[in-house]
Amino acid sequence: MRTTARTRLLAAWAATLRAVLRDKGVLLVLMVAPVIYGFFYPWPYSGEAVTRVPVALVDQDDSALSRQIGRFAAANPRLALQFVTPDERQARQALWQGRIEGYAVLPRELKRDVLRGEAVVVPVAGNGAYALLNKAVLTGFAEAVGTVSAGVEIRRLQAGGMGTAQAMASRSPLNVRLLALFNPTEGYGSYVVPAVALLILQQTLLMGAAMLVGGWAEQDELRATPTAWLGRVAGLSCIGLASGAFYFGWVFFLQEYPRGGNLPGALLLLALYVPAVCALGLLVGCWVRDRERALMVLLFTALPMFFLAGVPWPAEAMPAPLQLLRWLIPSTLGIQASLRLNQMGASLAQVWIYLAALGVQLAISLLLLSLLARLRKA
Amino acid sequence: MPASRQPGFASSLRREWARLLARPWDLALITWLPLATAALLWWIFSAGLPERLPIGVLDQDQSAPSRQVVRWLDAAPGLRVLERYADEGQAANALVGGHVHAVVQLPRGLAAELKRGRAGEVLLLHNAQLGTHSGLVQRDVRSVVGTVSAGIELTARNKRGEPMARARAGFEPIRTALVSLFNTATNYEQFLTLSLIPAVLHIMAVAAGAWAVGCELRDRSLGQWLGTGPGRRASVAALLGKLLPSWLGIGAVGSAALAWLSLARGWQPAGSLAWTLVAWLAFAALSIALGAFLAALTRSLRMALSATGFITAPAFAFGGMGFPLVAMPALARAWALALPYTHYARTQTEQLIMGAPLAYSLAPPLWMLLATTLLLGASGALLAGTARRPETWGAR
Repeated sequence: MRTTARTRLLAAWAATLRAVLRDKGVLLVLMVAPVIYGFFYPWPYSGEAVTRVPVALVDQDDSALSRQIGRFAAANPRLALQFVTPDERQARQALWQGRIEGYAVLPRELKRDVLRGEAVVVPVAGNGAYALLNKAVLTGFAEAVGTVSAGVEIRRLQAGGMGTAQAMASRSPLNVRLLALFNPTEGYGSYVVPAVALLILQQTLLMGAAMLVGGWAEQDELRATPTAWLGRVAGLSCIGLASGAFYFGWVFFLQEYPRGGNLPGALLLLALYVPAVCALGLLVGCWVRDRERALMVLLFTALPMFFLAGVPWPAEAMPAPLQLLRWLIPSTLGIQASLRLNQMGASLAQVWIYLAALGVQLAISLLLLSLLARLRKA
Repeated sequence: MPASRQPGFASSLRREWARLLARPWDLALITWLPLATAALLWWIFSAGLPERLPIGVLDQDQSAPSRQVVRWLDAAPGLRVLERYADEGQAANALVGGHVHAVVQLPRGLAAELKRGRAGEVLLLHNAQLGTHSGLVQRDVRSVVGTVSAGIELTARNKRGEPMARARAGFEPIRTALVSLFNTATNYEQFLTLSLIPAVLHIMAVAAGAWAVGCELRDRSLGQWLGTGPGRRASVAALLGKLLPSWLGIGAVGSAALAWLSLARGWQPAGSLAWTLVAWLAFAALSIALGAFLAALTRSLRMALSATGFITAPAFAFGGMGFPLVAMPALARAWALALPYTHYARTQTEQLIMGAPLAYSLAPPLWMLLATTLLLGASGALLAGTARRPETWGAR
């Protein structure tokens, strides 16, 4: 009795692997796509940081002080000063044309007002539609202007009889020192791609599993015992584990992303995440029962699921029902757990809730598959 | 089978309509599913800027100024002091486990330093693995510490005998300020939802075009649709009839989403909403034609959908709305510029947010219509050829 169950499990496992290798559609989605996407998604972000953003300076003062600000702006690594003009309209047109992404306006009488001890405001126009560009433009100009401003203030304090060190402390008594953890260079790719990797893994596995089921349904090979379904999950999981290892090992390493925080933990995560996704994919396939339609439906779900995962957008900011709904999606759990284990180096105790939720998802999917098997047999 | 019957626009439209009614899921994919997806995306971002992100505090000084900083941190609308730690170990543990996004450390001796007239330092340890979260936390913590610092400086200057008003002007002689050149409420709902919904509808539109044409190939029904010897013109006319329902469905969903996001959400588009709608409809037409072309070219629904995934799924990542085009490597930028989404997103941003004069945004929709025409023409020719060769139908 026990040996037959084991034989059946192994037979289904082997048959699933053979079916994947024979089916070029499934093969493309399951084995080729993860490799291609592993290089394709990190590609636009390979520069990591937004530097040398093209900007302009509108100098309406044309004084020694305004030219000094211009020199600091030109030297700032965040900015690439394209031109200096007294005419704000010219800068605005360049902004619309996309030749520059922002500009600062040094107002008329800048130097006179500063010498008189009046506070001067330098307006910075960034392109609010593009968050990263906007930030680079604002920070770049704030640094340039801030350096000049600090110089002015320290000279004033020194004129009042203070020493240099005391003057510096006095002009800014309390400061923040920023320490970036886990992603010390604050690279954009290092932040987005490790999360996207788990989503790619999920989508390719779901598509492959659902397509496979569609094919079985067509050839009337769908019916199987619960044990055989377990074998099918195991067969698909072998391929999924290989893709997972490819991302956790090779892609993270090649792109020099933060990695390897808790390797045994990450492997345990894969061992839960991959079967949970595969079982769900088989269920989706049983529901859709059409190879191509499964592909079509899974194409557009990726983007909403990524934003529900809580990485590009804080989960704290989502409406309450969505905060619950997101827990039903494997990618949410996989991404949250993977970032903590791979990039942040958390212990298993700190991610157990995600792993447990994945375990529950896997159990429910397996239960449904075996119910389906019994139902079909009757 | 006589090749005399030539397919036409009207008969093809009727046939497609009957097919959609017979298969409710096919109809769903061009009507209520796009609508539901757009609504879901809007809902995710509907709260606008995130509020009350959890942070932790490690107050090793326990002085009046350190407690003031903590109080103000908790009062900042974007932050919530979730936990207080007794030592560095606890703080590090909380950061690694990820239940706070940052820890503010107020080191021992802070108050004493300030009293002696030296500069004090507050440490912000932030989780840079979560870029958005850490960016928001940094901004709020800087602003709180800046405010406390300015208060300390003002008091000191006042003690030295400077009048309050002069001291205020004196402590930062030249300041920068963000001016809202465009409609910059820094409202993430606006920016993200506006660019995300067209990106998802783009995926659905290309897939719909591929589906409409590809199904006829997969189900070996190309002959019933086009006859066995259609002319090129007749094929293009039949294609137009077939694709029209998808364009009407997805086009309407996108138009409704754009109108809702720009008119009913408490802000005014800076430029022309009408031209943005024209651009969207041209972009939707191009997307559907591209899908049809992929199916006609590969003669396989599955291959057409795989190609759809390759072109459209990363389109948002390459589109320049998250990570800017100027920061991409040259070849990646070239790929981004070859994708229609990149151009649509730019046009939409110019008109809805940057308020650019219409002249700057005229060209892209016209180019898209030209590309649509070319793709439809090529697809018609390819399909006319395939219709004559029944042995090539039914590829999986």
